[in-house]
Order: sequence, then C-alpha cells, then structure tokens
Amino acid sequence: MTKIDPHFADELKKYGAKDFDACFNCGNCSAVCSHSEKNVSFPRLTVRLGVLGLQKEILSSVEPWLCYSCGDCTETCPRQAGPGQYLAAVRRYAISEYEPTGLTKLMFKSPPTFVAVTMLVAVFLGFFLFTLKPEHELSRWIFNWLPYEVIHNMGLVIFSFTGLSMVWGVLSMSIRFNRNRKKGAKSTVGFFKAVWMVLSEAGTMDRYKDCDAEEDSHWRGKPWYTQPWFVHWSIMWGFIGLLVATCLDFILKDPASDIWYPSRILGTLAGILMIFGTSQAINYRWKKVTLIYSETSPADWTFLWFLWIAGITGFWLEVSVAFGANNIINQFVFLVHTIISMELVLLFAFSKFAHAFYRPLALFFHYRNQA
Amino acid sequence: MEEKQKKQRIGVYICHCGGNISDYVDVEQLRDIVGQEENVAVSKNVMFACADSNQKEMIKDIQEKHLDGIVVASCSPKLHLHTFRGVAERAGLNPYNYVQVNVREQCSWAHSDHPDQASYKAAGLIRAGIRRVSSSEALTNIEVKATKSVVVIGAGLAGMRASIDLARMGNQVVLVEKEPVAGGQMAGKGPVFPTNQKGQELVNTLLGEIRKLPKITLFTSATVDKVTGSIGNFKVDIKVNGTPGEVMSFPAGAILVTTGYESYIPKEGEYGFTEGGRVITMKEFEKMVDSSNSSLSYKGKPVKTIAYIYCVGMRQTKGENKYCSRSCCTAAIHSSIMVHEKFKGIKAFHLYRDIRTYGKNEILYEKSSRLGDTFLMYQEKEPPSVVQGKNIVNVKIKDSLTKKRELELDADLVVLVTGMVPRNDSQDIANKLKIPIGNDKFFNEIHPKLRPVETVINWVFLGGSCQGPKNITESVQSAMAASAKINAIIRKDTLELEPIVARIDAEACTWCGKCQEVCEYDAIFQIETNGKVVASVNDPVCKGCGICAPICPADAIDIAQYTNAEIEGMIDGFSQQVDLNIEKGKSGQEGDAGGMKDFPQIWKSIMENLSEEPKTIPQIAAGIQQPSELVTWHLMTMNKYYIVESAGIDDNDEYFLYKLKNQAK
Repeated sequence: MTKIDPHFADELKKYGAKDFDACFNCGNCSAVCSHSEKNVSFPRLTVRLGVLGLQKEILSSVEPWLCYSCGDCTETCPRQAGPGQYLAAVRRYAISEYEPTGLTKLMFKSPPTFVAVTMLVAVFLGFFLFTLKPEHELSRWIFNWLPYEVIHNMGLVIFSFTGLSMVWGVLSMSIRFNRNRKKGAKSTVGFFKAVWMVLSEAGTMDRYKDCDAEEDSHWRGKPWYTQPWFVHWSIMWGFIGLLVATCLDFILKDPASDIWYPSRILGTLAGILMIFGTSQAINYRWKKVTLIYSETSPADWTFLWFLWIAGITGFWLEVSVAFGANNIINQFVFLVHTIISMELVLLFAFSKFAHAFYRPLALFFHYRNQA
Repeated sequence: MEEKQKKQRIGVYICHCGGNISDYVDVEQLRDIVGQEENVAVSKNVMFACADSNQKEMIKDIQEKHLDGIVVASCSPKLHLHTFRGVAERAGLNPYNYVQVNVREQCSWAHSDHPDQASYKAAGLIRAGIRRVSSSEALTNIEVKATKSVVVIGAGLAGMRASIDLARMGNQVVLVEKEPVAGGQMAGKGPVFPTNQKGQELVNTLLGEIRKLPKITLFTSATVDKVTGSIGNFKVDIKVNGTPGEVMSFPAGAILVTTGYESYIPKEGEYGFTEGGRVITMKEFEKMVDSSNSSLSYKGKPVKTIAYIYCVGMRQTKGENKYCSRSCCTAAIHSSIMVHEKFKGIKAFHLYRDIRTYGKNEILYEKSSRLGDTFLMYQEKEPPSVVQGKNIVNVKIKDSLTKKRELELDADLVVLVTGMVPRNDSQDIANKLKIPIGNDKFFNEIHPKLRPVETVINWVFLGGSCQGPKNITESVQSAMAASAKINAIIRKDTLELEPIVARIDAEACTWCGKCQEVCEYDAIFQIETNGKVVASVNDPVCKGCGICAPICPADAIDIAQYTNAEIEGMIDGFSQQVDLNIEKGKSGQEGDAGGMKDFPQIWKSIMENLSEEPKTIPQIAAGIQQPSELVTWHLMTMNKYYIVESAGIDDNDEYFLYKLKNQAK
C-alpha cells in the first residue's frame, strides 16, 4: 500500500517541473519516447508517480535516469505538461535526496542560496589558495594565528566530505534500487556484462542516438558532430581526458611547461573536445534551437558555464606557461581556473555533476534487470 | 358492420417505383392476373404511383369508372398512406375504402436475390389487399374539442419554464407543486454549472415571471389526486395540503408531467457513508461550500484534502441503476473549481470510472485539471474502500492509471458524487396518468429520438428529468419542446382522430367485463341501453390495439379496419393458388436458399450449449466446435429475436455472457 502525498507535486515544481500535474494519462509521451519499452509505460508512469507523490517509488526507480532530455515528449504533449522537464526535475530531486547533507536541496530549490553557496565556496577557495603561497604577505599574517597544517587539513576534510557524500549518494541509490526489485527476482544479465554495457553506452552513446529520431526531428539529417549525443559525448570524454591529464601532471610533478609532454597532449586534445562540447551546448541553449533547449534550469547553466570557463582558462594558462608570461593577468586567470575547477570538484556531489555517477549506476541496474 | 355488401368495382394500381419494384417483381404479369380477379374493375401498372400525374389519373378513374375501393401496391404505408387517403378523399371516395399493399420493402427489396419468390409473395399480398378493401367500410374521423388549458405537474425549473411559455401563448395553466415552495431541486441551491449562477436565482427569475402572468395558477403543497377524462378533455383533481377534504377540479386539454428526480441517497455503509460522518453526498457538499465563506471546515476541522468518489449508485452493471446520470461528473468538477476559487490550498482527488463532462463542460474538466486536481480511475469491480478515522477518512483505491497499484489517501472529507434516481412517487403519478415507466423507473416517451416529449397516452407530455437524468439546460429544453407541442395541438378548435377503434355489437354483448379488464387504456366502460348492460368504448381514448377483440367470449367486439371479414378475406386472398409464368433463370443462384436451412441447426446447438449456464462467445464456439465469428453472427441474431440475452460480463471483464431468455442464471 502506498500513500498519496497531496503536496509532493508542489515540491517537485520547486525543482523546475512545470505543470506536470495537468497530465491526463493519455500516454502520448510513452508513444513517442524511443526508450519506452514494451511493458513499461515510460515516461507516463513516472509522471504519474510524481502526480500522486509516491516519493519512495520515484527514488527507487531507474526510469528518470534513462532519459536524455531530447524533449520529444514535451513537444508533443497535448496538455503541455512538460514530461521532459519533469524528468529533469525528478533527477534533481533524486540527487538532493540521495546525498545526506541537504545542501543540494537548498541550492536546487532556491537560486539565491545557489548563488550564495557558489560565491562563498569561491571566496573560501580563493582564500585557501592564497595560503598555499607561504611567502605572500597576507599568508604570513594568517599563519600567525592559523597554522598552515590546520588549513591544509581543513582542505582535506572538505574534500573527503564531498567524496563521502558522493559515496553515500551512490550507496543510497543502490540500496533503493535493490529494494525495489521484486522479491526473489533474479537479474537477467550478469554483473560484468552489465558493467560492459554501461561502458559501451558511455563510449558510443547508442541510446542517446535513438532520441528524437523522428522524421520531423530538428536533428534529422544534421551532421553527426552537431547532434546532441555528440555534444554530450565530447563534454563527457573531454572532462574525463582532462581529469586524467591533471592527475598525471600531479603524479609526475611539474611537467606542465612542455606542451609536447604526453599528459599535456592528452590535456590539450581533451580540452579542445570539452570546449567544443560546452560551447555547442551553451550555443543551443542560447539560440533555443528546440523546445527543450529553450528552458534551461539555473543548475544546468551553471554547470555548463563552469565547465566552459574551466576549459578556456586552462588553455589560456597552457599558452601563457608555454610562452613564460608571468604577469598579474595570468596570475588572475590561474586563480579563476583553479577556483572554478576546484569548485566543480567540491560541489560534485551537490550539483548537476552528480549525474555522472548516478546515471551510469541507474543504467547498470536497468541492464541487470532487463527483460 | 353497417355495410355488409362487398365492393363491386375495385381499382388496383401496381407501382414500378422506377425499377425499385419492377426490376425484381414481375409487375406486368401481376397486373394481368389481378385484372381477372372478381370485382376488380381497373388494374394498372404505374411508373410512380405517388407522382402527381398518377394521382390525377386515379381521381379520374375513381370518378369516371365509379370505383368503390382502391388498392395501391407500392411502398410502405409509413410513406404514402396519407397521400393515397388524400387521393380517395379528393375523388369523393371514403379514405378508408383504400388499402395500401407494400410490395417494395416486403417483396422486391427483401427478396432481391429471389425475384421469382418476390413475385409470388407480391401476388399474395395484392390479393389479400383486394379482399380487404372489398370488405372495407366507409369510416369517419373522430372529432374532439380541446380545452385550452394545461395542468403542469411539478414546479421545478422545467415545469415553471413550460408554464410561462404556455401562458404566454394564451393558455390557462395550473401549476401543481408538492413542496411548500416552488423550484424543485434548484430551490435554495448554490452556484451551478456552467454559468455559476445560483440555483435559487434561476428559480427567482422564473417565479418573477410567473407572478406577472395571471394565466398561471400556482399551487404549492398540492398533489394530483385523480385524473379522469381523456385526450383534449382531462379533468385533474388537485388536493391542497392543509385544507382537509378539499379537492379542486381543473379541466385540461393536455397534461405536462415535470415531476423531476430525486438525488440518490447512499446506503448506510456504502463507501463508508454514515449519518454524521466525514463522508457526505454531493448535495450536502454543495450546500456546505455555498454557505462557507472565509475557510472550508467540517465539524470544526479545516478541510484541506477532499476525495470525490464518482458514479455512486450509478452505472451498476449488476445493480438497479444501470444508467449514467449525465450531470454529476460536471457538477462535481464544477464544485471542485468553486472550492479552489473560494478557498486556498485545497487538494482535490477525483476517484472516477469515466469522466463524462460532455459538450462544452469539457472546459471545466480541463480547468480543474489545470488547477492541480488529481484524477484516479477505479473499476466497478474494485470500488474504493473508505474507512472513517477520528478526524480523517482513509480511502484506498486500485488506480488503473498507475498500473492498478493500490494507493491510499488520507482525506479530510469524502464527497460521494451521487446521481439522479426516479422519484419515489413516480409510480403513483404513472398509475394516475396511465403513462408507462421504463426499466430504469423513469417515465417513458414514445420514441427517444423522434417523439421525445410525448407519451403513449395522447396529450400527456413529459418534460425535464422525470424522463431520465438531464442537466438544467436539457431539462428546460425538453420542457419548452413539450410546451410548444402542447400549444400547437390545443390551439386548434377540434382535433381529428383516426377512427380505428374497437366497436361493440350491443346485441351480442352480455357484459362479462373481460374486455374492460384487459384494456390498458381504460377505454371500455359499462352502459345501459334498452334495459341491457353492455360494454361501450370511449373512442378518443381507444388506441385500436385490438386486445379486447379476441378475449370477448361473445365475439361482440370488432376493430374498425381490422374486422373479421377483412382479416379473413386477407388470409383467403393470400393463401390462394398463384399461377405465374416466371423463367427459372430469373431466380437467384441455385443453393442460396439451401444455405439458409443450416441456420436452425446452429441455433439449436447454441441453445443446447447454453441450457446449462450462461457462457461467453469463445466458450460457446469451443462447445459446439464452430468458428467464433459464426457463433457471434448467429448469437447476435438470436439476441435480436429475444432467443438469448446478455447476462453480464465474465470475471475477467473481457467477454459478455449470454443466456437463454427467461432462464434463471
């Protein structure tokens, strides 16, 4: 027996869902969606769960994570209930429910809190970065009453805090998904096979390619590198490439001055890919090329701009390091680059970024229990 | 009985109908053999009997050849009976000395695959017609003078509206209301869809108009005591409460019944309904919403979550009220919108079976949905369960829209959306007026589409929802239709009725009273003539149904146009040997008729198969080892001929069950 929550619909609207409770269950969205499978009325049933406020069921269903927001359902919904935006809002809601701190909830539901938190973190990070240069005048003064070790340890604690929150979220999601399975039901696909399927999807974006593939689709006949799936692919792999390159830089200590160094070549290529992806994504949203691109949530905007700025400033630095131009502007750019990058990492568990863990995990569960 | 002599000079006209008849029926041969019949003076083929030129020729024939009876063999009498009665009349022949024979619908069209047999049948029918006309009598129409006043029973919106219309058209109106105030269901009622105008305001508007019309007399707290008389001259006795023993009599040319409906009252425990509980009816809820101002609360507790349960007491496939009340979906949704507009922060859940906000009211459904109302769908078989807690009502529903998942809702108030049921006293009214009541216990009209406001009792009319569930608009529309219809007939000075009525042979009658017993219209009464008690017929009331004729042990009753001589003549004519010279080649394909012989066999096996218990079509098909399409085909025909009937739906809600008619389940 599941209890109806009359107030949940209002709550979800704070996460960016539109008039989804105007849904009259016609099932048009399920009919147009490329990911609707034979026995699951997706996304209609997921919308229904939200209308009735069945929170437990929403949080333990993989369905919201199977959607790539192509917007086909939103465009054809006879009630203008916005099932696409609804699913995005549900994902935001899920991210804030899975992580334990409640910080995400605050930020997603209120844009002022969102701005305040980002600014605060930026100021803190700026301050933190200054302390890393002990010869600086400001630092010396600080270290008089706040020892370097304390600051260093605090940084470690905060990073662990983010990491643990993410781990908690992932566990939370897994437990719910497991509980949701019918008792005694066995997975139909093996563990490693499912992992392979997730990796293969990440590599090929085959599911994403199925999205919005109708004859009248905006993307029909457009070159592959302009397609949304490729935009997403380039941001994702660009970021992963950069992450790997940065880690290699860190492990190998100071190789950054030589742009022909292998880890730097990887960084350069990945950076180009990510800048291309984020620029396209921002461009589509700016120009509102399709209905779904015309309504971008603050969470998505921030995420994209952060990535873009991190990419652009990264290039700037690479160039200025190569040409040895150590001046105040470059130092400022370096500060911005580091702050933005670290903020991305710090807010990982509490932002749109968390989908990088949740979606593959949901896909994994989806594949495991596929009929 | 007055003319025993047979007709000597009969004219027969056999129509081609431009090929409709002549392509299949050999009309030339028929003309020739009919021409040789005894007493037939004229036998002709005509291309179109109904054509103006032919009508003129018929008149010429009748006058010049002194015809004393005519037979037209063409289409159905529904089409041209009055045309040819008119022809006879214009030629100076009594219109009842004409007989119509239907050789199109009954011969050429029905047997187009067997033209030879169609011709034989046509020959038989035409001969029957000739025999009938030769025994026919000249009859005169019954004339009735109508009283230009109307008694309207029930002063709801329908009754008041009709009374105003009738009075404005110059008729006296007596409007009788049982309750102490006029207005019916709308008296004291709050805003109603779609205009939000208050029910009482609508009543006041009409009452204001009634007060201005001296031709209307309104009696409240009054009931109809007795109705006597008949078409055009009813006498209605009205009893007013509080004046014991006093009964007033009013003459009425016509009677309009606008007695309305009653709201369904849920049974104790139906959806948790109890006296004074948190489960209330739609009617109570409307009153509550209308009388609350700043906030909505019930029994001291603010109402924040409302569950509406639809179709309560209605659309019961196995219960008494099988019909849909049409207006309740819209009324509930309208109330929900009113609630949202009046009070803030209220959540509404609609537990429905199907939403029927038909026509323009669909906009209301759209609106409530936009306001965030949630709709949950249940099946009749699995109705929601309602359990009353201390300050809350727990409702459980298997929601078809959520994969039949069992859901639970805690509501502050449950509103049972109840529909309309026939009034308690409708049987009483029906008995007094002798108007029929349908299976649903509402009053029945003659024909739902073609004669929707008339009853089988001449000049007793129906308006509003005494006839079946209607919303206000529809009620008022039907009442206005009835008043226009009434005015059109009572404004005439005299009314002519067909003389096809029962006639008593006073010499043969010994008054046993059997005819009076069987007469459904109370048209037969006792009189004394020449010192003898005999039966007599009230002509305007008699419908000529003929039920009294065979029951009479003395054979003293005849029905005009259907006398023994006429009927026996028809049988003789039809059964006479016909010799037609028809090529075999003109017949349909060999074996066609043979195929028809299989029908009774499969019917027989279906009936045997159904003798034990009701079954579905797939079950029957498996039982008699025939394809289910074939079983469906025959079963539907058997259903049409009342051999089998539906016995509800099977347990999977998938197929209808069928049983033999008159067989207990």
